[in-house]
Amino acid sequence: MAKELTLAMADLDEGKVQELVQAGLAQGVNPTLLLDDCREGIGLVGKRFETGEYYLSDLIMAGEIFKTAAATLIAQPGGAGGPAKGKVVIGTVKGDIHDIGKDIVVTMLRGAGYDVTDLGVDVPPAKFVQAVKETGAPVVGLSGLLTISFDPMKETVAALKAAGLPVKVMIGGGSLTEQVREYVGADALGADAQSAVALADGWIVAQEVAR
Amino acid sequence: MTNEALYQERFQRIQKAIRLEPVDTTPVVFMGTAFAARYMGITIADFCANGETAFQANLATVKRLGGLDGVNLGGGGRITALLTSLWLSRLGVPGRDLPADSLWQVREAEVMTPEDYDTIVKIGWGPFFGSYLPRVIDPQEFGESMGWVMANTPRIQQTYREAGYVVVCDAPVNVNIPFEYLCGARSMQKFFLDLYRMPDRVKAAMDVIQGEILAQIKAAPPFGGIRGTWLGGWRSASALVAPRLWNRLVWPYILEQAEALIEVGITPVLHWDQDWTRDLVRLQELPAKKCILNPDGMTDVRKFKELVGDRMAMMGDIPAAMFAAGTPDDIRAYVRDLVNLFGNTGLILCPGCDAPINTKPENMEAFVAAAREYGKVG
Repeated sequence: MAKELTLAMADLDEGKVQELVQAGLAQGVNPTLLLDDCREGIGLVGKRFETGEYYLSDLIMAGEIFKTAAATLIAQPGGAGGPAKGKVVIGTVKGDIHDIGKDIVVTMLRGAGYDVTDLGVDVPPAKFVQAVKETGAPVVGLSGLLTISFDPMKETVAALKAAGLPVKVMIGGGSLTEQVREYVGADALGADAQSAVALADGWIVAQEVAR
Repeated sequence: MTNEALYQERFQRIQKAIRLEPVDTTPVVFMGTAFAARYMGITIADFCANGETAFQANLATVKRLGGLDGVNLGGGGRITALLTSLWLSRLGVPGRDLPADSLWQVREAEVMTPEDYDTIVKIGWGPFFGSYLPRVIDPQEFGESMGWVMANTPRIQQTYREAGYVVVCDAPVNVNIPFEYLCGARSMQKFFLDLYRMPDRVKAAMDVIQGEILAQIKAAPPFGGIRGTWLGGWRSASALVAPRLWNRLVWPYILEQAEALIEVGITPVLHWDQDWTRDLVRLQELPAKKCILNPDGMTDVRKFKELVGDRMAMMGDIPAAMFAAGTPDDIRAYVRDLVNLFGNTGLILCPGCDAPINTKPENMEAFVAAAREYGKVG
């Protein structure tokens, strides 16, 4: 069952995932274990994306299947869950209202086991600072599609630094380049959703090691 | 030299580039819609509110920059209405929905429903388009805006010509692949899910749309000039769409429209945003020396040169991010590298996609100067 659910998730077989989740619940399988299987499937989706087998449309479909399955499992008595891998605050910066790329990253991060605080779009720097203070997240993701997002990203990085918050900042979005990362002063550029997960993984592991 | 002689010289230069014939100097054209407003000190709200203001800002920018051969687009009309006609999405309009000097933005939303696919098949694309428009724009505003464009396009092109500049996309035909219309109308998230959940339903609607667009192309009136028109791709890019979907729902429609345009003497300008590298080899299926690839800096132009460089010209592709966050030295180096790659054939220098609103003026000026400095090859 576990292998089958993971593979159905990885193969983007929406009907089969729903069927296997319902069957697992009917058989009394712990929802957390089923959610873990789905997360493993999302991990495979990410790997297929990295190797060029999958493309953005596949990530969108995978995210949709995962969100539906996760909502079902979390809604069970006792809920599915377990400890999160880490916390991430994410949002599309002030002046930019695009959310497609950000939403894909949010889904992939959640699929990878992160507790993600999604601030939405058109988010001013102060709101990022406040969210990091409230959640204690060590990782911040700044999203922006348009070139007008560059200065708000820069201002947000500066605001996080000015607040003395020990966070790593990644940026991502359609027109962003390494040159923009330098301009903004972020720690890393996430070229795609899977890169964002890899960056968060690296930073969270490094933080654990440092402890 | 008279402006008409200048125009003829520049026209021949661009024509030679399209035909992959050697040029005396690499042609360079302008594309920077919102930049033009900023460069001329006009608020974006004013630029969006009046088609004539937009045209005059573009023309004045081209004149002030100097040394250009022409423009990718003529740049007149109300940009938000024009974009709505391409994307079928609601747009936030500066001065009305957004701050007066901010950039227009698409308000991504599911406006079209899955049932609308069936409606398109049932009643046809034209009638559906007419009934759909009020969901995304005031029909009166749309009608006035597009009416202005229709009435003034000949004057705009004549004005550029009298000033000595060539308009590359001057054909009296506007085309778009069905994928882009439907993706904008459904929202990207919903449409991409439709591609997995109901591909046959989507394709049936696409085929109806395609049939009507092909009929429009066949009815295109005779026209002089470069006879270019955008055959755009934004969300249908290779990097965004799985190959099995792209091969069925994107490329056949591009190919068919491009062939139809060429058949009536129009030059398809493949205005392709995002990364299309995966499928560049498919460009070999198009007739040689009849199209222009117009990428935005994300597609690998080295790969393009390797695969299709002997069949098609490239118009581009200085990245928007470089215009906004780079330096004049970055721009100069990028232009120099492009000229070194292409030599004296098959290159028209142009900002990738559209130089952005926050382009540093010194970067745009460096672009034009670098084109003239490095453009003389061989």
